[in-house]
Amino acid sequence: MSDIGDLQSLTSSITAVTSPFRRYLSELHEKYKVINDGAVADYIPELALAKPEWFGICVGTSEGQVFEVGDCDQLFTIQSISKAFVFGLALEDHGREYVNSKVSVEPTGEAFNSIVLDEVTNRPYNPMVNAGAIATADLIKGDNGTQRLKRMLEMFKRYTGREHDINVPVFLSEKATGYRNRAMAYLMLNFGMVSEKIDETLDLYFQQCSVLVNARDLAMLSATLANGGVNPVTQERALDERYVQDVISVMLTCGMYDGSGAWAYRVGMPAKSGVGGGITAIAPGKLGIGTFSPLLDAKGNSVRGIKVCEDLSRDFGLHLFNVATPEHNLQQWIDGDASLDDW
Amino acid sequence: MPKVVSIHSYRGGTGKSNFTANLATAVAMQGHRVAIVDTDLPSPGIHNLFGLEPEQTGKTLNSYLWSESSIEDAAYDIGDSLGIGEPGKLFLVPSSVKADDIARILKDGYDVRLMNDGFRNLVKALQLDFLFIDTHPGLSKETFLSIAISHVLILILRPDKQDYQGTAVTMDVARQLNVRKMLLAINKVHSKLNPDALKQKVEETYREPVAGIFPLSEDVVQLASEGVFCVQFPDHPVSQEFIKVAQRISEA
Ligand SMILES: Nc1ncnc2c1ncn2[C@@H]1O[C@H](COP(=O)(O)OP(=O)(O)O)[C@@H](O)[C@H]1O
Ligand SMILES: [Mg+2]
Repeated sequence: MSDIGDLQSLTSSITAVTSPFRRYLSELHEKYKVINDGAVADYIPELALAKPEWFGICVGTSEGQVFEVGDCDQLFTIQSISKAFVFGLALEDHGREYVNSKVSVEPTGEAFNSIVLDEVTNRPYNPMVNAGAIATADLIKGDNGTQRLKRMLEMFKRYTGREHDINVPVFLSEKATGYRNRAMAYLMLNFGMVSEKIDETLDLYFQQCSVLVNARDLAMLSATLANGGVNPVTQERALDERYVQDVISVMLTCGMYDGSGAWAYRVGMPAKSGVGGGITAIAPGKLGIGTFSPLLDAKGNSVRGIKVCEDLSRDFGLHLFNVATPEHNLQQWIDGDASLDDW
Repeated sequence: MPKVVSIHSYRGGTGKSNFTANLATAVAMQGHRVAIVDTDLPSPGIHNLFGLEPEQTGKTLNSYLWSESSIEDAAYDIGDSLGIGEPGKLFLVPSSVKADDIARILKDGYDVRLMNDGFRNLVKALQLDFLFIDTHPGLSKETFLSIAISHVLILILRPDKQDYQGTAVTMDVARQLNVRKMLLAINKVHSKLNPDALKQKVEETYREPVAGIFPLSEDVVQLASEGVFCVQFPDHPVSQEFIKVAQRISEA
């Protein structure tokens, strides 16, 4: 304890343990860990290694408190969650007009891996479907593949406050079997929507999906967006403030694959899921949620993760358009007070 | 509502374990359900005051923290041997004195989240009125937890410059952690010091109440941590002082 900064971070980490809000999260964890619906993704063998019982919930507030329950250190591949954040980097690299000219922002009712382009403009529908994500990855600047990968990993570090690696076996597997994604890339090349460095861009796309994260990282990704693009713990800016709204609004309309409409209606939190079992969800100005449980529903979203977000949204009134007084007052549950001190 | 009482001091050998044992016993004798958790995992000791031998304690707090047992399975009913009658109850959750276990704690620390959950589980499982936490001296993440969750924090200090300074630091932390109630206890007070003047000086310095002043006692030394003083010598002035503090805790 050399200075007051250390003391403050130590006390805030203890408050995060003793807060009634963490108790609430523990109860959610208890409640949903017994649910074993869904299945672990197995389209490549590496993903099938995930243990069905893994389950972590983490919430980061825009004030920088972090609440963790369950398996929050377990690493897994970020998969499609990366798409939202790489979209932000592409916006920083090229600006809104140019990026929009390459990728539309329309939700599709189609599955994430559909090979469909807008018939008039030839643009992929949005940055969250694979085609759109590949076109977005194509926009990431850098002299060569290594440099582009490095820029991407540095971006993730700004959000999470920690170094990231990629899972090489997952990357190589995706690369070896990603015929469909390769086909999409060539189709887009045919329409002039992506540049000719297709192999490099596909590598970058497979690498971005193979970035290793844990539930805490997912909470920090969304907490940073919730905090206007600045990591609330490190205070480092991760995304140009002009583009925070772009990333969040695309997450709201397209983030949960073809379940996005129902999600926006029921949960009302901009979110992004990945087949690795992660979900990151945002309550703008308030907090970010990161959940990890590899059991997926038919749409590819984590079954337990969805339930956790639904409960949090309902109990604390986190739906974007909620005006009713929620059952629990968020600030009160985070700070804790005598009325919530149920021993 | 159940109350959590943490007993802490900045330095070791101040009298924490002795206080914890005596205060918890006195509160149990008033008819309350009480448990003590020995969170001094690096240097456990309070089990000695209750005559609990390591051979009798297969499960310990360590077993719970390493997910080998529930915390209530590591709680030993020690009330009968002390003559605590119904409805009073006294349990102890001891820490392991095995060298390997202590080494593991020193190397890896422990998960404060689990400890927090354990305290709560224990209070529920044993339907406690009071949970006493004996602590490791000094400030660490682990002691921060005990401080943060306590309804009453008892800080023990000796009339000694090192204790004075350390107590001030501890109080800063306790205030930062929004501790609800702090009580000071001055221990090992030399017979030449005027207790009233000492009390006044300490209260002025720290702006928190002094709940008890305990002399440096030959009789306590002689018992040598082989019993609970206020059970062995109920009429002794030291015991009377413990009972006074216990009264204050149960009324807090
Ligand atoms: N008032 C006192 N007078 C004399 N000896 C005391 C007094 N209080 C405690 N002791 C002795 O001091 C030693 C340390 O006490 P203990 O309770 O184990 O301290 P801690 O738990 O703070 O390390 C023990 O031998 C104990 O018997
Ligand atoms: Mg001790």
